[in-house]
Amino acid sequence: MSPAIETNALSKSYGSVRAVAGVSLRVERGEIYGFLGLNGAGKTTTIRALLGMIKPSAGSVRLLDKEIGPNGRGPWRQVGHLVEQPTAYPELSVRENLEIARRLQGVPDKRATDKAIERLGLSAYAGRKAGGLSTGNLQRLGLARALLHEPELLILDEPASGLDPAGVVEIRKLLERLTKERGTTVFMSSHILTEVDRLATRIGIIHDGHLLEELEHDQLQALRARRLEVQTRDLQAAQEALARSGYAVIVNEGALYLHEGRALEAPDMIAMILVEAGVPPTRLVVTQENLEEYFLRLTGGAA
Amino acid sequence: MNGFAPALWAEALKARRSKVLPLTAAAVMILPVVDGLFMFILKDPERAKSMGLINTKAQITAAVADWPTFFQVLLMGTAIAGAIIFAFIAAWVFGREHSDRTAKELLALPTRREAIVAAKLALIAIWTLGLTLLIFVVGLGVGALADIPGGSAALIRDSFGSLLAIAALTLLLMPFVALFASAGRGYLLPLGWAILTIAAAQISGVLGWADWFPWAVPGLLVSLTGAAVGPIPAHSLIIVLLAFFIGTIATFIWWRAADQA
Repeated sequence: MSPAIETNALSKSYGSVRAVAGVSLRVERGEIYGFLGLNGAGKTTTIRALLGMIKPSAGSVRLLDKEIGPNGRGPWRQVGHLVEQPTAYPELSVRENLEIARRLQGVPDKRATDKAIERLGLSAYAGRKAGGLSTGNLQRLGLARALLHEPELLILDEPASGLDPAGVVEIRKLLERLTKERGTTVFMSSHILTEVDRLATRIGIIHDGHLLEELEHDQLQALRARRLEVQTRDLQAAQEALARSGYAVIVNEGALYLHEGRALEAPDMIAMILVEAGVPPTRLVVTQENLEEYFLRLTGGAA
Repeated sequence: MNGFAPALWAEALKARRSKVLPLTAAAVMILPVVDGLFMFILKDPERAKSMGLINTKAQITAAVADWPTFFQVLLMGTAIAGAIIFAFIAAWVFGREHSDRTAKELLALPTRREAIVAAKLALIAIWTLGLTLLIFVVGLGVGALADIPGGSAALIRDSFGSLLAIAALTLLLMPFVALFASAGRGYLLPLGWAILTIAAAQISGVLGWADWFPWAVPGLLVSLTGAAVGPIPAHSLIIVLLAFFIGTIATFIWWRAADQA
């Protein structure tokens, strides 16, 4: 089966600014693809190009085996999207906004609107004007619009943005369910790394318009550096003792970190050195670099 | 066209729910009401003065209170105010998608962008022609209330024809407003454009080029002296149609091809 999303050396420049540079993505059907990047990395520009909202300066985009044409043509009946902050006609109710979406999507079944309202937990707000909605509920309305026509492919720009923690979990479960039950493909951008970490089966990292890395979720787990974290009552004395034994030690935020393999494999040796130096460890644990730290290391940002 | 009917339904719903619809209706109703008031004052300046409606009667004694004058003023008002109010409607219908940031929801849809643009233009036509009818119907009522002489079936028919022609010619100039609302992503550029064309139309009239300037052509149907107005010259009609086609095609091309931020 052809991939759900395929871009070939996709580039977009605005004057001398290269927003996206030679991005070649491949998202298989049924995947949840996390598209990670800092603000301004080129996530939204890529998404706009996927949806035919902007014309690539170079390269091409295919969605569900259809070329995204120069005239905004594409397999839009099978694609649901949420780009940037969600918006709605403020003087129209939630239901009316979705009703417009239903008709423009060409969905004949009138119940689709109610179903989308229920699915996103908007029943209590259905008759309320969109202009008075909270950011979180506006985001739900945006997601309801993206899901209303039950698309095969969901392209979501920061889907968790504006939602409260319970809402974030709810949307995550909804997306997981859609993938499992219907085989929906999800392409979601985010800068909330933990969200991507929990949900995505594959991850692409974009930085300065370049796709830096594309990896499986498990691969990412393996790549994230491990380190031995040590806490004592006297960090300086502990650091000196370990340095005397030839260990490279990094001090950061009230703890010592050792990255060398021999330290990770034999934490007991470290404990012994510290005990002998009179600064026994109060905490000694092998931890894995979290996604934020990995991301910043990869993109060269300061940790 | 693929998706035209649902797109028109959506546009109509947005218009019905907006405050702009009653606002424009109220704005155009001022024309016949003020016109009627004018007739009422002209009929008996002394009475109007005693009622506190006017301070001096000398200023307006040049005109007479009758149906021909009433319609003449109504047509003139429609030609000037219509240009502003119609442009306001066109600027809102297209510009609001940008000021409310909803334009992005209209792009990647099975309903083609051309259908959405066509529906917006159709809505502007329905809306403005509705307002024109409102001006006329309210005008008839106000004129009857003012109880002015000189009315005839032929005068009413001719005046209605002229009013419709002014509205239709003004409407044909709206695609440029739509284009500037789209390309300018809001209201500022189209309204600036409308004001500019109204001013330029006045200047072209003074210079005697009004028949060659599309935005001055609707005004050709207005008689300032009360004398009968001849039919619009063919070349004037052609340049208005040209302005319509260029504006419409440019708007379609912009929606199809321009980068939508």
